Amino acid sequence: MGLIREPLDVDFFFDPKPLTKKEQQMISDFIKTDKVKRKLKKTTQKGIYTQHAI
Amino acid sequence: MKHNPQYIDIEIDKLTNSIENVITGDSFQTDISLIDTNDLKQITKKNGWLFNWKNEYKQPDRDVYKLTISGNPEIIQGLISITEREDHVYMHLIESAPFNLGRNKVYIGVPGNLVAFACRISFHRGFDGYVSFTSKTQLVEHYQKTLGAINVGGHLMVINTDAALKLIDKYFKN
Repeated sequence: MGLIREPLDVDFFFDPKPLTKKEQQMISDFIKTDKVKRKLKKTTQKGIYTQHAI
Repeated sequence: MKHNPQYIDIEIDKLTNSIENVITGDSFQTDISLIDTNDLKQITKKNGWLFNWKNEYKQPDRDVYKLTISGNPEIIQGLISITEREDHVYMHLIESAPFNLGRNKVYIGVPGNLVAFACRISFHRGFDGYVSFTSKTQLVEHYQKTLGAINVGGHLMVINTDAALKLIDKYFKN
């Protein structure tokens, strides 16, 4: 359990401007790619276990 | 009632030690819940809030949540406005209460707490924790460091599954 301590001189604000369709697409594209990468990473991690002959 | 009843189960979530008094270092448990019309009376520009939350509340596609200290529901510590998109949760606005801004802020941890909550909602709604937002230019690097957000072009930022899990781990009991 922890806490995200923002520096005292920094305040979180987002830019409230509405997203364009292009920007929405950029986000969706990133998410798609990131999900694929995550899946591949999981598969690769499973693959590193080696069976040893007894 | 503008909010969809299917979201009622996650209106209030218990958080742990999620905001900290800057001077004493004491931590306080917090609650997060949807704002109502009564809250709108105190979150005005006249009271020092910077954004127009009344307008945000009126938007039919947005949910506005408030963060309060457990047992002290009258004092709003911070607000967040979010929308469910096709594949993730988008955060339109976030703001700490006027007394939680700048060098003299009373509590730290308010925005991190609200962002972690948005990530949790993203998981609840089947989006694997993905959350996005548009950063102010000067804060891009800060969000990368503190939230693990990824800049995907321009000022667009995305918090992915791994970063979301880390944020949730920091704040939520379960």
